[in-house]
Amino acid sequence: MGKYILGRILRWIPSVFILLLLIYALVFFGAGDPIKLIFLRAPGDVAYDEARIDAIRESAGLNRPFFVQFGDYIGHIARGDFGNSLVSGRSVNEMLSAAVPVTLKLGLTAIFFLAIIGIVLGVVAALNQNKLLDNVIVGFALFIWGIPVFVAGPLIIVFMVLGLGMNVPFGWSGLFHPKVIIPLLVLGLNPMAIIIRQARAGVLEVLSEDYIRTARAKGLPRRIVVFRHILRPVMTPVVSQLGLIVIGTLNNSILIEKVFGLPGLGRLTESAIKDSDYPVILAIVLIFSIVVMASNLLVDISYPLMDPRAAAKKKGDE
Amino acid sequence: MATKERKYSLTKDAFNRLIANKLAMIGLIVVALLILIALIGPFITPYDFLSQDLMSRNQPPTSLHWFGTDDLGRDVLSRVIYGARTAVLVAFSVTILSFIIGTVLGSLAGYLGGKFDSFVSWLIDITMSIPSLLLVIVINVSLKPTLVNWMDAQFMATHDEFWRNTIWVDFAIVFGSLALIKWPKAARIIRGQILSIRNKNYVMAAKAIGVPTSRILTAYVIPNAIGPIIVSFSATLGEAMVLESSFSFLGVGVRPPIPSWGNMISDGLRVWQLYPHVLAAPALVLAIATIAFSFLGDGLNDALNPRQWK
Amino acid sequence: MKRMIFAVLCALALVGTTVAEGKQDAAAAGTGQVLNIAHPALSQTWSPLQGGGHAARWQSLMWAAPMYFDKAGALQPFVISKAEPDAKFTVWTLSLNPKAVFSDGSPITAADVKGTWDLCAVPSTKHQRADLFLGGIQGFKEVTSGAKKAMSGIVVKDAATVVVTLGSPDPIFDQKIATALIAPVKISQVVDAAGNEKTDWWHPRNKVAVSGPFMPLSMDLDQGIITLIPNPKFFGPAPKLSKIVLTSVSDASTATLMLKTGKMDAHTELITPTLIEDLGADFVAGPPLAKGQQFWFDANKPPMDDINVRKALLMCIKPEDLAKAAFPLGPYTVATQILNKVSGVDPAFPKYAYDPEGAKKALAASKYKEGKLLPKIMFVGISTPTHEAAAQYMAEQWRQILGIEGVEMKADIETYSGPDQKSVQIFRDDVGTRVPDAVSYLMGSIHSSSGNARGKMGGYKNAKVDTLLEEATTKGVKDPARNKGAQDAQRLFRDDYMFIPYYYDVMSKWAMPWVMNFDKNDDWQVIEPWNVYIDESKRVKK
Repeated sequence: MGKYILGRILRWIPSVFILLLLIYALVFFGAGDPIKLIFLRAPGDVAYDEARIDAIRESAGLNRPFFVQFGDYIGHIARGDFGNSLVSGRSVNEMLSAAVPVTLKLGLTAIFFLAIIGIVLGVVAALNQNKLLDNVIVGFALFIWGIPVFVAGPLIIVFMVLGLGMNVPFGWSGLFHPKVIIPLLVLGLNPMAIIIRQARAGVLEVLSEDYIRTARAKGLPRRIVVFRHILRPVMTPVVSQLGLIVIGTLNNSILIEKVFGLPGLGRLTESAIKDSDYPVILAIVLIFSIVVMASNLLVDISYPLMDPRAAAKKKGDE
Repeated sequence: MATKERKYSLTKDAFNRLIANKLAMIGLIVVALLILIALIGPFITPYDFLSQDLMSRNQPPTSLHWFGTDDLGRDVLSRVIYGARTAVLVAFSVTILSFIIGTVLGSLAGYLGGKFDSFVSWLIDITMSIPSLLLVIVINVSLKPTLVNWMDAQFMATHDEFWRNTIWVDFAIVFGSLALIKWPKAARIIRGQILSIRNKNYVMAAKAIGVPTSRILTAYVIPNAIGPIIVSFSATLGEAMVLESSFSFLGVGVRPPIPSWGNMISDGLRVWQLYPHVLAAPALVLAIATIAFSFLGDGLNDALNPRQWK
Repeated sequence: MKRMIFAVLCALALVGTTVAEGKQDAAAAGTGQVLNIAHPALSQTWSPLQGGGHAARWQSLMWAAPMYFDKAGALQPFVISKAEPDAKFTVWTLSLNPKAVFSDGSPITAADVKGTWDLCAVPSTKHQRADLFLGGIQGFKEVTSGAKKAMSGIVVKDAATVVVTLGSPDPIFDQKIATALIAPVKISQVVDAAGNEKTDWWHPRNKVAVSGPFMPLSMDLDQGIITLIPNPKFFGPAPKLSKIVLTSVSDASTATLMLKTGKMDAHTELITPTLIEDLGADFVAGPPLAKGQQFWFDANKPPMDDINVRKALLMCIKPEDLAKAAFPLGPYTVATQILNKVSGVDPAFPKYAYDPEGAKKALAASKYKEGKLLPKIMFVGISTPTHEAAAQYMAEQWRQILGIEGVEMKADIETYSGPDQKSVQIFRDDVGTRVPDAVSYLMGSIHSSSGNARGKMGGYKNAKVDTLLEEATTKGVKDPARNKGAQDAQRLFRDDYMFIPYYYDVMSKWAMPWVMNFDKNDDWQVIEPWNVYIDESKRVKK
């Protein structure tokens, strides 16, 4: 197992290297460097003086050839130093150490709850197939699937503030503060729809199997049948979606962190790219890559644990 | 031939199941309606989607303007109808484009195997592991100025008005980015199907007795792969629509004044506390369209994969 | 089993990230008044040497400017008590205020002033407006090009006197340095061995010594919460507020909601389509600002290379209708000339006339003859609903009167402007001045050396305009020839038909009605931060 994990990580490293190179090249040759952008976007009284701007770029090392600069960044990253933001001069390590925990905490908590609630709802729906409860749950799932997350966010905020008279949920006071409930809700609703439908479909598929009928015929109470025989096979398709859900949650955090004032990675992403802040962009891409790779790895490792047949197959595959 | 019969009854079976599914039918009708509106929309809009009445901005729904007017006095209903056109255009173009890329790459990978397969799989992995919004913002920020400048240079050289029309640059970048995000899914499905079928006994037998490759593809591979492809196609349509609206929200999608539900939602989010109708109209329509595609996709899935029915 | 995996995963993550997370900022619930300001950007640097950006609008809270313009527009001494020119206005002797001290008690010395201004010019500091204020000093260009680290034109005569030598006579140099954007800092804290600005020197954890009425208590740059408390050593009147909290709220509608519900009291710069309906006209209103938004023609790009086309386009615009379309509820005033607010405004400026028939004739006389034959017209800088409405109004007028069909609008100036822009012909951008002087206003907008003329107007150069302005620059402040030169130059410019007048800006208060004494000047700074207080009786919670 350890060798397997190591192998995966080793194979992942060149991929992320090429990804970083690609994105860096896109921004470098496309939008250009951050200094130029600062002066281009300033109000009309700031002069766009080519000589001055060139001197500034020279002092920041932005006149060096493409590969020299890229090599410099990679060299530093390999040593764990993400450098300083080209726009504000602030240490990127510092920015990340504050932003990454926020996004991770929110994301993981949201996924945790939406997975549990989603599975429960999906199972309940499948067990009551075609009855009112099933239709209500499926309808609900499709409904929340249809509202984009950036519409749901402001809608819920205003409903809570103007309708229920709560305080505007803004800012981050840690995971255990009540105002984190609304962002969690907004983050979790969309992916939950997927889980509900996956779980429901999985349970339906299993219900028609013979061994379930045998178990019922044996006289086992429904609850035990559900927990012991149904849930396990359902987990496989659900967990397989996890990789997509993690990416989806990262995407959603880009959309909602701005609205809720959460100091996470998502908030940094948009501004870093629009400002062409190379060190920050590279750092963010790297972190996202790591998160996705880690979750995919975990999913792959957990397959054999959930489904012994997959364990057998895997040994043959690798 | 035996295979032809099977194919025929398979489709008929699926079709019957689909029709019996009420939700799927609702979805189908809504989708058909959407496509219809997209086609004839510009001929039935009460107002031109561009025309502004700057004296009557942000009007609530009245008999003059059924959905009210937006911040620049434009009729919201007309813009929503036009937005349907954009939505359908974006959704179908992106899905078709990504499926073409996905099918080509996926089938080549599945069939040729070896190094090519590893390369394509690796490509799929990388693309699927980047959050799409990040990728799209980067593409937009970096490629758009380059493209626009290139077009400008062409205009200066040829003085042909065609190069001034930068609206389709917007569309091209949106299509391109969306297709770039979506193709791995299609490729994976195709590749998976080909891999699983390739090793089936009857295929190996057919190869052994000398059945040509093209016949193997048309007789065995495609009929079996079509099911998941159709389902995935329909799901991607809905997702593409929602993705485009996310892009517009971030400012990297279809830009105004071309109406897309996404940029109408983005505009509406600025004023909706005072004028909720500006947000409600496009948001509701987008939701209905997405849900309709979901129903349809689910129905197709149930119809084509009957194991799930008791 | 799988639940175990989930649980272990989550527990690990939570434990790990809790350990790594930074500390929270404990806001003390003290007595006294607290001013809550919503800040639209997640500013990662609060260095007073940026010379621009959102953070710079609050510079006067923490930093004392060399001198400043008060409410009446009069120049007030502050860190510098006297600025005396010689007869030719080329050598200025600046005397420091003996009472001026930093928050750690050390006096503000001449070395601090020289060090600060030198540092502003050094490229690595990236000061956006150094050339506006210090550009005339001898040796400025050597420092900005990176050749030297200090300007030869600034000399420390003694601990309380600085002698500045300019490259050419400038009677308003004292006005130019009356800005918080070049406020003297304690140079020993700021500059490293190589002569560059240190990172984070302005952060309270580095025990920064500030000179203004407030000092930073804490700065949480990740959450965007900056807390200021009164500076006990401030050499001016003691502040009335007991705390100021700046919170970063990037989303405009969230900020509007917070202001409405009283959670926030002021905003750095709020622009939404329904601002006046949401927060009232008072919120946006303010004294006129020596700054205006105009539409500039690039005369190199067809069809703007034909003066008849420009004339035709201009004669289709009715300023009152433009105002009604773009800002029906105010607070701006529609523009007629470039100059506003400064003493040199031309009372008899020949406005562009609204003349549809004349417009048609002018177009017919141009090389294009008809509206349909014109190449597509592209606007850039259409970034707010106000600008959209204005541009749409103009496009509609041109369509109706001249039959022009192809007009396109873009928001992003960065995609097109600067040295990369190719076929855009009309730019919306602002021009203005921070000193009450007509000549500097026009130097920054119509003189061929200005960024506006070079970039937005495609290298516009009218030699007569240039000469008039250059001569006027040398005249004394009270010399009527100064303003006359400006007005003459402006009239000549008018006859070149190079711009479409749009509106004059106001220095919006951007604060709720219960915030008192929150006036700002042309430097975009709160004039007297020590006088700001909250009148609770005016507080209305919705």
